[in-house]
Formats: sequence, C-alpha cells, structure tokens
Amino acid sequence: MIQKISAPVSVQLIYDHRLRKVSPRQIFWDGKAIRVAEVGMHHTVREGRTLFHIFSVTSSDLFFRLKLDTDNLFWTLEEIADGLPN
Amino acid sequence: MDSQINLDFNRRPSSIMHIDLNSCFASIEQQANPLLRHKPVAVAAYDTPNGCILAASIEAKRLGIKVGLHVKEGRLLCPDLIVRTPDSDKYRAVHIALKKILSEYTPKVVPKSIDEFVLDFSGTPSFQKGMFVVSREIKDRIKKEIGDYLTVSIGLGPNRFLAKTASNLHKPDGLDEINETNYREIYQSLSLTDLNGINKQNATRLNMVGIYTVTDFFKADIPLLRSAFHSILGYYWFLRLRGWEIDDVDWDTKSFGHSYSLPKPLTTPEELAPILSKLVEKVGFRMRHSDFQAKGVHIALLYKDHQYFHEGRSLDQPIFDSRDIFRVAMRLLRHSPYRLPVRNIAISCFALSSRSTLQLDLFHDNQRKESLVAAIDAINDRWGNFVITPATMANTSEFVHDRIGFGQIRGLI
Repeated sequence: MIQKISAPVSVQLIYDHRLRKVSPRQIFWDGKAIRVAEVGMHHTVREGRTLFHIFSVTSSDLFFRLKLDTDNLFWTLEEIADGLPN
Repeated sequence: MDSQINLDFNRRPSSIMHIDLNSCFASIEQQANPLLRHKPVAVAAYDTPNGCILAASIEAKRLGIKVGLHVKEGRLLCPDLIVRTPDSDKYRAVHIALKKILSEYTPKVVPKSIDEFVLDFSGTPSFQKGMFVVSREIKDRIKKEIGDYLTVSIGLGPNRFLAKTASNLHKPDGLDEINETNYREIYQSLSLTDLNGINKQNATRLNMVGIYTVTDFFKADIPLLRSAFHSILGYYWFLRLRGWEIDDVDWDTKSFGHSYSLPKPLTTPEELAPILSKLVEKVGFRMRHSDFQAKGVHIALLYKDHQYFHEGRSLDQPIFDSRDIFRVAMRLLRHSPYRLPVRNIAISCFALSSRSTLQLDLFHDNQRKESLVAAIDAINDRWGNFVITPATMANTSEFVHDRIGFGQIRGLI
C-alpha cells in the first residue's frame, strides 16, 4: 500500500567526510522517531532552477520518500509505503 | 555488390559492447524501495485496472507478466502483483549515472534508449584490458556506485547487431560474446524472431523464400534476401549477420512529438482542446529549446473502437510559437470525420529548420513574437514547466504526465 503525503517532516542527516556520503539517519514523523535502516536510492530533481534531493529510505518495515528543498533546506515527506500490494 | 557475395564473417575482435539494464523501471523501483525486492513488481502507466504495464520485475516476468498487459491481466496471473506508476526523474537519474560510468571507458557511448547503451571500444586503452575484464568491472561499478539491486546484460560483438543479440542471450545479468568462433552455434540456437529487427511479418517474408532458421538466413545469398525484402534491407541483413557494421548511423532530428493515452475517453474537439494545448506546449518548448522551428504539424487520433484518424498540414511559413502550433492542430482536429470517444491523441511538428534563419514577415512582427516566446520559456525554465500557460490549458494538471518513451532518447543530459 502506498500513501502519497506531501507534509513537512523532521529529518536527521549525517555527513561522513571520509566516505564522502550523506544519508538520513532518523525521521521524526507522527510523534515517533523512526530509524533509517537503508537508503535505497538518492537522486536529484530540478523544478525550474530549484534543486531537490530525493532520498528513498526504509525503516524496518516502512518505505519513506523524503524530499530536501535546497533553496530553504526544508524537508517534505512525499510518500509512505509498506511494500505490500496496493 | 557482386564482389561481396562471398563475404566472410568479420574477423575483427569484438570491440562493440551493448549494455541493457535488466527490467529497467521495475528494477529501479526495487532499488529505491528495498521492501519491494524479490517480489513481483510492475510499473504501469496507471495503477487502475486498465493501466498498461510498462515494465515487469524479474520476479513478475517469471510469473508470465509481460510489457503491454493490462494491470487487471497482470493481477489475474499474480494476485500479489505490486503496481507502481512511473517516476521518470528516478529513471533519468540512473540513466545519467550509468552514462557517466560508461563514459570513463570510451568516448563513444551512444544511448539507444533509457535502458540501453552501445559502446565502441576500438582504439581505446580500455580495449587493451580485454572486453570481458572491462565488462565485469562495469557490472561491479554499477552495483557499487548506482545500486546493488541493479543488473545489466552485456553483449559483445564485432558489430552493433551482434552485440545486441549477444546481450539478449542470457537475462538477467548476462555476459556473452558473438564472434567468428561461435556464431554458427549461436545462430542454431536462435529463431528468426529472436533477431532484433525481425518481427513476425519479416519472418513470414523470409519463410516465403524458403528461409526458416537463422542458419538459413545466414546462408542465404544477396539475390535471395533481396527477393524476400524487395529492398536494400536484404543486403544490410547479409552484412549484419556476418558481423559487418551497418547500423552506426546517427539519425538527424526529423520531428518533435508527444502523445497521450486518455484515462477517460473524450469526444468533442472542445473537450480535447485542453489536453491538446498541453501536448502542444510540451512539443513547442522542446522544439524551441533545441533551436528548431517547423513548417508542418501532424495530429493522430486513436478512437475507443480502434478507428484511426491522422492528418498533417504543411505550412507556407515556419512556426515556433505554441499558440500557432495549437491553432493549426485544432484545425486538423476539427477535420476528423469521427465523433467518437478518443483513446489516444498525438501531435508532432515536422519539416524542421534552424531558428537562426528567422524570416521577417510583412504582416506580422515575428521578432516581437520571438521575444515574447523567449520570455515565457525563460520564466517556465526558471520556475518549472507550466508556470505560465495558455488559458486553454486550464485544469490539465492531472493529465499528460512526464513520461519516457521506449525508443531513442534525445536531450536528456
């Protein structure tokens, strides 16, 4: 089941200078702190001249699509899914 | 041409590589969402029962789910099928990342579609390393740098056709070569329709002149092939099957077009106008972005009962403004003799020329129009597409989504 959301969300992001990697570590959503287990994919999208970073991540049982607006550094939760048939 | 009748198989070492990203859209969805891995997944134009399946994961293919099936048919074969709608930006990102890796091995990288590349290694230092070594290195780098769930099938050959054929021998994650030592054996294992470019119709043509197998096809002489195809194609196939290059052709841009399958059938020109307007805006923007103008507009309509109408019009003067394209397209739309529900609508601009040769018009101020169009394009480019749109396009945000075509892609990077 997939749920399209588009709501502001709090995200803890880690930058590792040795691995030169950036990845979300924790999402604070619906009153809960959710630990990111795996980053499936990170890609960028331009809407006009604004660059957005999209992180596709999973917790132990849920998928989250997170969008970072590089103009204001605000995060949006775009989608939650559970990996089951819709 | 007679002197080439006894042409041998090309003995040149395999320097052409064909790379095919397996189950592209579905694998990328599984890469992005690890919860979908090892499950039957389909990417469909719409997730409604009549949505057309555009890609199936390897697990879904094993259950018989193929490209072109409707979602409801896919669910009959596999009730647990997970259906996702396309995310074009994600697929473009993988395409660009893949191209970046491949470009480090040879400057001659040609994208054939969103999930296929042809590489020519002749004269490159990578070729000295050995094509199998380089192929395995590319496979490893894709897993490490783009995604560990992504696999590619790689084919090697002395020409593009054989490299492509080799890439289809083992899927997923294949690595095969067709060369002068193994081509006979491989040809024996293939049927005519396994060859890229031989569909059922072409196979029937070949059957009519006594060619039933790929080995027959290979052994056929030029006059026999000419009698099968009634054109130069017979000679091209003669060369292709012997490993000589005939497909290294860079086609010029001949037209810009967009089509759209309507989620609900619309009938009258007035109902279709907003969608046509949006298609025209997309075509016009892409055409101007590539610095072209057109002297022809063509529309095609496929109706719900499979009736088909298409009409093109050549113009006296080239046009570049979307408003002008829309005006011509609407005129063509009204010419359709049918008043039936439309299933698919397509528009294209043809007879292209460079916009640097803008001709002054005695009765219209083309330069003023050019400035206005350039300003609108600049605003749409800065703030995202369709910030400024014609009023005819109102309420079309849910229609004409961003899609990637199956064929050759241009202007992606």
